[in-house]
Amino acid sequence: MTETANTAIQTLLAQTDTDVASYLEACVHCGECAEACHFFLSTKDPKYTPTYKLAPLVKAYKRHKAPFHTLKGMLGLVPDEVTEEELREWEPLIYDSCTMCGRCTVVCPMGIDIAGTIRKVREGYAAAGIVPEGLQAARAQVEKTGSPMGVTAKALMAQIKHQEKETGIKIEVDKKGADYMALLSSMEVMGYPEIIGAYARLFDRAGLTWTISLDAYEATNVGVQIGSGPLAKGLVQKIVDAAEKLEVKNVISPECGHAYGALRWAGPNMIGRQFPFEVVHIIELMDQLRKDGRIPAGEKDGRKMTLHDPCQIVRRGGLLDEPRRLLDDSCSDFVEMEGAGVANLCCGGGGGVSANPRAEELMLNAFKCKLDQIDEIGGVEAVVVPCANCRTVFEDGLDEFESDLEVIGLGELVADTLKEA
Amino acid sequence: MSFLELVEGPLFYISGTIFLIGALWRLIGIIRMGRKKDISPPKGSAVAGFFKGNLRHFFPRGLFAERTWMHVLGGYGFHLGLFAVMFFAAPHITFFQERIFGFGWPALPRWGFIIAAEIAFAGLIVLWVRRFSDPVMRMISDRDDHIGSWLTFLVMLTGCLAMQEAHDILRAIHMGIVDIWLLYFPFSRLMHAFTFVLSRGATGASYGRKGMNP
Amino acid sequence: MSLAQKNKSMRSGVLLAVILTVIGLVFAQVALADSSVRPPGNAISLPEEAGPSNALGQRSDSEIWRDIYGGVVANPSSSTATGQLMQILGDDWRLFRTNYILKYSHWVLLGVIGAIVAFFLIRGRITIRGGRSGKMIARFSMSHRIAHWFLAGSFILMGLSGLIILLGRPLLVPLIGKEANAVMTSAALQGHNLFGPVFILSLLIVTFRFMRGNFFQWADMKWILKGGGLLGGHASSNHYNFGEKTWYWMVVLIGLVMSVTGMLLEFPWLVDTLAWHQISTILHAIGAIILISVALGHAYIGTIGMEGSIDSMLRGEVDENWAKEHHDLWYEQVTGKSAALDETPDASAKEGTS
Repeated sequence: MTETANTAIQTLLAQTDTDVASYLEACVHCGECAEACHFFLSTKDPKYTPTYKLAPLVKAYKRHKAPFHTLKGMLGLVPDEVTEEELREWEPLIYDSCTMCGRCTVVCPMGIDIAGTIRKVREGYAAAGIVPEGLQAARAQVEKTGSPMGVTAKALMAQIKHQEKETGIKIEVDKKGADYMALLSSMEVMGYPEIIGAYARLFDRAGLTWTISLDAYEATNVGVQIGSGPLAKGLVQKIVDAAEKLEVKNVISPECGHAYGALRWAGPNMIGRQFPFEVVHIIELMDQLRKDGRIPAGEKDGRKMTLHDPCQIVRRGGLLDEPRRLLDDSCSDFVEMEGAGVANLCCGGGGGVSANPRAEELMLNAFKCKLDQIDEIGGVEAVVVPCANCRTVFEDGLDEFESDLEVIGLGELVADTLKEA
Repeated sequence: MSFLELVEGPLFYISGTIFLIGALWRLIGIIRMGRKKDISPPKGSAVAGFFKGNLRHFFPRGLFAERTWMHVLGGYGFHLGLFAVMFFAAPHITFFQERIFGFGWPALPRWGFIIAAEIAFAGLIVLWVRRFSDPVMRMISDRDDHIGSWLTFLVMLTGCLAMQEAHDILRAIHMGIVDIWLLYFPFSRLMHAFTFVLSRGATGASYGRKGMNP
Repeated sequence: MSLAQKNKSMRSGVLLAVILTVIGLVFAQVALADSSVRPPGNAISLPEEAGPSNALGQRSDSEIWRDIYGGVVANPSSSTATGQLMQILGDDWRLFRTNYILKYSHWVLLGVIGAIVAFFLIRGRITIRGGRSGKMIARFSMSHRIAHWFLAGSFILMGLSGLIILLGRPLLVPLIGKEANAVMTSAALQGHNLFGPVFILSLLIVTFRFMRGNFFQWADMKWILKGGGLLGGHASSNHYNFGEKTWYWMVVLIGLVMSVTGMLLEFPWLVDTLAWHQISTILHAIGAIILISVALGHAYIGTIGMEGSIDSMLRGEVDENWAKEHHDLWYEQVTGKSAALDETPDASAKEGTS
């Protein structure tokens, strides 16, 4: 057994707690998970069956940790040792063809959280250094600049200044004692900086104080995508340190996929203590502010629109109704896709897939399923996509399939349809 | 001791004991692996989620109901039919009363027993046929799946063959296969009968804690 | 685990299951000495004082028969027409059954098996002209395949149990003795009766699933004239050829007869006239022999007899050259390409299927 394989196996076994073990012991190989996976649906290749992707973990578990493994081992009834070759053979299945979207978890009759277990398998891979090049590059960038796209504090300041001019509102940076500290994803800063202006308008109207920290502005947690616990922890620590230094009461997780889960749910466990501040998702915050009447809605946007449910926000994040309430107030012609909500299709590029050039074809094929879902409604002019990563996937995909559908973020839409002061 | 007395007596008690101890050992083994305590502030109850998750996954949701109807129909047909036959067929109740519990309970009328068995057979056969026809199931199925299906089928078949209750040998073959099935159970995937509660519960608890509907 | 390893372990799993079944049957032989026959669980217990086979309760059968021979005037209690003391048709029925059905059924079946073996020895395996191309096209969907194998499985169960019931006394008793035959027949009857409705369900599913494409077309006429290509030469065909269509309709129609007669035999109180029950047993037996015979031929052609045919029902797809040879019109409809044969065999084409 090679050193690499050994590291991977040891990490996989360490990740196997009672929850993971229950999952591995409950799978009856029914294959329903394949029916939920957009990668299988778009290629019909059975190797993309979600439970099949877990094979290295299953093998290691049965050989080294499962109840009766000693007895079965003596009778030669345990699987062979996982080899480095197998691990590498499975790498594309673990990284290219899984966005950890969780549809498989919803459909599984045994309730097995396959998506969450892929996350754990990635820990083994990351520890052994078997990671796709695209994600390795992102990791290198993060270690250098704190941002997977190499967005420096200087670049961020430039965007902030630009938005201040656009909106005419001062945007505080490193302000101590603010109510809220906003995080942003690099994707937003570089691709959709209007969101910064949108925050300014919304919070100004709502009358709350907020700031952006130049020490920790990145919400995207590459550690979660790669599956590296240590990296994920480091990124969370940075945010916590900055938030504590600025003594803010709340930290806002932006329209980004894994960021919220990484900070809100995994964060305290990663750094080993509770936060002295609350973590809130921007969509939750907007919904609350609107309920409190602090950001009343004005004239509605008349375009025919539909909503794409980002997996980590809706299915895995629980924010099913909030975006819909905000949309009902902001647009007059809002139509749902069939199967929208908890069972909604993934855009195809989450969980690190969009940062992985090797997975581009798979991603675009999977995105086609999404596009078909939208086209089925007919006459849709714009799609609201409350996740910056999904937005890039949409933009790549719409370009590839030559569609002129417009993509808008939720924050901007809410800010644009605010009632005149 | 006749063959029938052997399979209904000592062999049954041995295999039954191994079944019970094996199943407990395996379940306790899984639970003992433990998990790290979650210190993030909860939004809802994990315990409630454990139960909600268990109930929720009984029903396919939204788009999925359409895509998985064959599994749902066949699966429920088989499981419910088998459950009805195993616990509510008159000869079985008599056996449980004499050998295990010391008390019985109301039985299905004979025609109910037969219909339940027919539904169970139909479900099992369709699902097993799917297992060797569907490319996805072919890819992920292993020896354990096939042996488990076949053993269960044989238990049911030999039971059906003995339904006239006029020949000891037919009853004995049925019991013999049941003994083998009981021995195989705790070491195989048949344990899903118990582990599904843990896996649904684990997901349900984690979602419940986040204040989400699993 | 690679696909090859998976197939191997699946096969060994099935093998293990078969071994278990055989062990079970061995138990049967070993313990046969121990078997005791008891009255069936739902038998009525009779009072001791009544005479032999005292079904009527008070008077013995011997006394009743003595009265009838003596010319007593009475109304029969059976379900036949009033005024009819004996149902003479019943004797014709009995003789027909004994002298024809029981006597010749197994010979018919053995003859069919012999004919198939002879066909194999003379004609050999029908290979794909031009060899396998290595390219596959889809022929049967998942639901088609599942419907087929569900029916095939229940048919085998029904056929085997049915043959034991039919041929137990004439054929099995001389071979394995009365005790063993009693056991096997009891088991077979219980199985046959319980699986009947399951068979009917699978038959209904197949009837509707396979109906499309199975109506007769002009191409079938030409196919018949060319003998279906069974003896060499090429016969054009759509999705299903004449032989397959005939088999489909036999299954549907004779299957319907089997289902109706079978249900009548399971619930005889539904019909008053005894003649119906008698006809049912005859039709049921004849239908069974016909279906089993043709099923044997069907299974032969679908497996050993013709290279490449098992792929259609196991994998759902067939080799393009197979399609061009046996269902050229279908091939052209589905692919839009001409069915001229691709003569160069694919060097990397695998040998067989499963």
